[in-house]
Amino acid sequence: MEKLFNFQDFKYAIRDLTRSYKKISTIIFTLFISLFVLSVILSLEYSLKKELNANAKILLGGDFEINTRNEKVDDQYFKKIEKFGIISSTVEFSTMLTNSTRSDAKTFFIRLKAIDQKYPLYGDVQSFPDKALSLLQTTKNSIVVNRKIFETLKLKVNDTVYIKQTPFKVVGYIESVPDLGRALLFGDFAVVSTNSFLNLNINTLGSFINYEYRVKLNNENINFKQEVENLTKNYPSYSVRYPENSSNNLKKLIDNFSQFLSLVSISAMLIAGIGIANTLISFINQKNISIAIMKSLGFTTSTIKKIFYFEIFTLLTIISLLAYLLAILSVPIVNAYLVKTLGIAVQSEFIIQNFIKVFLSGFLVVSIFCLPTISAIQQIKPTSLFRNVFQPCEFYFTKKNISLIILAIISLILLFAFDSKKPFYTIMYFLVFFIICLTLYGLSKLIIFYLRKINFIKFLPLRLAVKNITNPKTIFPITVLSLGLGVTLLLSLTLIGYNFKKEVQKSIPEIAPDYFFVSIQNTEKDEFVKYLKNNDKNAVIETMPIVSATLTKINKKDPLSYIKQNNDSFWVLERDRRISWSNTPPKDNPITEGNWFDANNKSLQISLDAKVAKDLNIKLNDSLTLKIYGREIEGKVTSLRKVDYRDLSINFVMLINPSFAANIPHEYIATAKFKNLPDFKEGAFLQKFKNISTIKVSDYLGKVTEIINKIFIAVIIISSIAVIIGLTVISSAVIVQARLSVYQNLIFKILGINSSNLILASIIEFLISFLSIIFIAVIFSIGVSYFVIEAIFKLNWSLEIINSSFVLLFIGTVTIILILLNNYKFLSPKVYPLVRNE
Amino acid sequence: MKSLLELQDIYLNYKTENSLVEVIKGVNLKINSGENVAVVGKSGSGKTSLIMLIAGLEKVTSGKIIFEDQDISAYSEDELADLRKRKIGIVFQSFYLIPNYTALENVSLVLEINKIENAQKKSAELLDQFGLKDRLNHFPSQLSGGEQQRVAIARSIILSPKLILADEPSGNLDSENSKLIIQLLFKYSKQNNSSLILVTHDQSIAKECDKIIEIKDGKII
Repeated sequence: MEKLFNFQDFKYAIRDLTRSYKKISTIIFTLFISLFVLSVILSLEYSLKKELNANAKILLGGDFEINTRNEKVDDQYFKKIEKFGIISSTVEFSTMLTNSTRSDAKTFFIRLKAIDQKYPLYGDVQSFPDKALSLLQTTKNSIVVNRKIFETLKLKVNDTVYIKQTPFKVVGYIESVPDLGRALLFGDFAVVSTNSFLNLNINTLGSFINYEYRVKLNNENINFKQEVENLTKNYPSYSVRYPENSSNNLKKLIDNFSQFLSLVSISAMLIAGIGIANTLISFINQKNISIAIMKSLGFTTSTIKKIFYFEIFTLLTIISLLAYLLAILSVPIVNAYLVKTLGIAVQSEFIIQNFIKVFLSGFLVVSIFCLPTISAIQQIKPTSLFRNVFQPCEFYFTKKNISLIILAIISLILLFAFDSKKPFYTIMYFLVFFIICLTLYGLSKLIIFYLRKINFIKFLPLRLAVKNITNPKTIFPITVLSLGLGVTLLLSLTLIGYNFKKEVQKSIPEIAPDYFFVSIQNTEKDEFVKYLKNNDKNAVIETMPIVSATLTKINKKDPLSYIKQNNDSFWVLERDRRISWSNTPPKDNPITEGNWFDANNKSLQISLDAKVAKDLNIKLNDSLTLKIYGREIEGKVTSLRKVDYRDLSINFVMLINPSFAANIPHEYIATAKFKNLPDFKEGAFLQKFKNISTIKVSDYLGKVTEIINKIFIAVIIISSIAVIIGLTVISSAVIVQARLSVYQNLIFKILGINSSNLILASIIEFLISFLSIIFIAVIFSIGVSYFVIEAIFKLNWSLEIINSSFVLLFIGTVTIILILLNNYKFLSPKVYPLVRNE
Repeated sequence: MKSLLELQDIYLNYKTENSLVEVIKGVNLKINSGENVAVVGKSGSGKTSLIMLIAGLEKVTSGKIIFEDQDISAYSEDELADLRKRKIGIVFQSFYLIPNYTALENVSLVLEINKIENAQKKSAELLDQFGLKDRLNHFPSQLSGGEQQRVAIARSIILSPKLILADEPSGNLDSENSKLIIQLLFKYSKQNNSSLILVTHDQSIAKECDKIIEIKDGKII
């Protein structure tokens, strides 16, 4: 049996590679780009997660954190916890900050953090001036704001800002805080001392107040968790967090984003694979004389194939190593951006597992496309050397290489699904990709089948085009496949990009309210409505009662014991939610299952968001236990509603029956849409209602679009890379076709057929393939982009015909230009070299 | 003299879409070691097909090819490749050197695949004898037709094969080069005691061989 590795064969491979690398530049280029992109994504994901894990205590702010939600910690409990170490207590709540008490004051909806002298237990606060945090503790009623507020309000140190009409002296601004709190990540915030906070005399039902206690252990080596858990059992409304859970949301975001980008990059790699197959088959066709000579000299087909495999896998090893090393070097460039955005600095590191994944991805993609290509060597006969007739070889499928291709595809899917947080999406993605491939391949075969039946064409260029397509050695299926995949990917990314852009640029919907108002006390509700009506008698005001509730049991079982954090609706269980009640179902929340509340039934009835019910496996009539004001009440799910949180109206995951809720102490949330928005003065409103916080919808949307814009930029960068690869692949397919027809063109030239007929024939040939793929590309790209926008990014998808048509036109034009440019030198071949068999 | 090659009633047919083409029809032939045989005949008579069968590049439809007392018509593709590698040298009309190998590499390749040491040195010495000392590191495209064919002959004889098959080796050359090439083939086949089967249209070349066989319509006449 022949040895798998033979140094002599390897030597031939290297010799050939060093002398022929220019002919396979498409392979080098597309393989490098796609492996580089994948390497960047993997390196960044790893570095970010490593940094988050390494700084878990800093991100949490302690060795553990006790969250007592909207109540102060119990003194007894506090004393017991105190023995573990130093406790730093903070209070967070949402409120309004203004720069004056005048009616035209500029306002900010902020998360206010009150800190004690022990804060921060871990890490550092980056502030200006450096001592701003200590000034906070020594200066009465002082405040530090985040940099954006400081710059927007053009504040100077010692200026005054107001919270609930109480003046605070600005002692500086904050660049970053070590504990990236849940709300502080993207929003505006300010920090005051605990003493200053007490001066605010906060007196609400506490729906938006959060008390947190962080502990730094005296002795890090002690096993404290069990003891803390036991102590906390007696306080059901308290929850304990540990460093390993400090940045779950951020990790989830990174997971989702890197999964999406990895799949886009693997698509680019698979399209590059078609380019690799095209280029390699062209390379083999160019070397068919050499291969035939080698066979005549006594080389076996398997030895020659082995030499080609050595060439391609040597190339892959060098390229993947180079791509990975360059990707590591690029991490510091991204780092500058991350420090600014997240306050996290990541380090470049060579991780062997990541390199193996990059190499394996390349290896599997190259194997999938090279197996039928290199097997084509089988078709080259040394007898051609006697006859001087060389037929171009085509992809060669045997049972053995079909089995190997299937094995490589399965391995590739498993490689990406294995460490994916959502393996189902990954598997679906690959499935769709291969369905598109099969559809396009089937389409090409169908076209060839029907064109063969046509024999009445008189127009010479059309006859030439049809002949080229139906030729037994035609590369039409490959052209349709590469062009089709390229167009589908470009169109999908265009639609995804357009929908992102639309979300970024979209104006506030007509029906959306202008303002949200939170923390409206029961006692001031009527006065609040009256004030707004006085301000604008045409104002549309909607008020809803709210109360905090925690979902503690589903069918009498603690959901946290069996529902995992990667569940899409885990957020419902993570902490207390605001719930409301209503006599009638909300207009924009259609009931999908069950019936609205039975007014005569006074026991707890719950109407649940249908998507949440599906994710948490909750059915109609299931029992849910809600903890409201520390008391656990069991209720029954009586209806499911379709809730769309994107419509900017008041939406609740859970609504309960008014007959049950009637006597629960509550506050209100309200929305208002004004006829004349400029007439509403936030400053004046806050003078009157200092405890009510206002959120201007346009400001809120600004923050959301800022985040979407960042995602959009990343998608566009990855898309551009995929576009370049797509065009390179299309171009390589065109070159392959043109090179194959050079001998034929020579004969035509000798026979007197002019170049314009040949040019027209190649345009017709292109149009037949391009027009046939448009329909399939459009259908699949609509499906893919819809799934990405609606299912992954939870945004609104819409079809954009003008841009999509423009993209099709653009691809068509660019491709036809590429065809004409590439065909140019092959359309008028020089007779002499060909006659001499050079 | 000992028999090297024996063709026993061999047939070669090609199937086309609608018909069966009989290319070789019941050829019997015996060639001894060190014997020179000229194969002559008109275009399309089956000369080249016969060479391809002997080289193991085509499979006989029926009949036997005995090479050194072994029936090679039953050999697999790999066994035939191995036989060519060790015992058969082929010279083509269109030279057919590997384009991206130098003259030296084209010749030494045969020794390397047979795992013979000092392949480059031995190849350089032979090319020197062929008057190509200054052309060792030239690629085929940098050589004239005569030089290319000399390299091709060097490649075919470097391993002292039992059998050399030459398909109109001077067909693409001028008379001077043609003469030189044929002289080289005769000289080295004799020196190595190799049998030579030479396909030619040139009667003067054919006459220099030990035996002349003429093929017409796939049969030896």
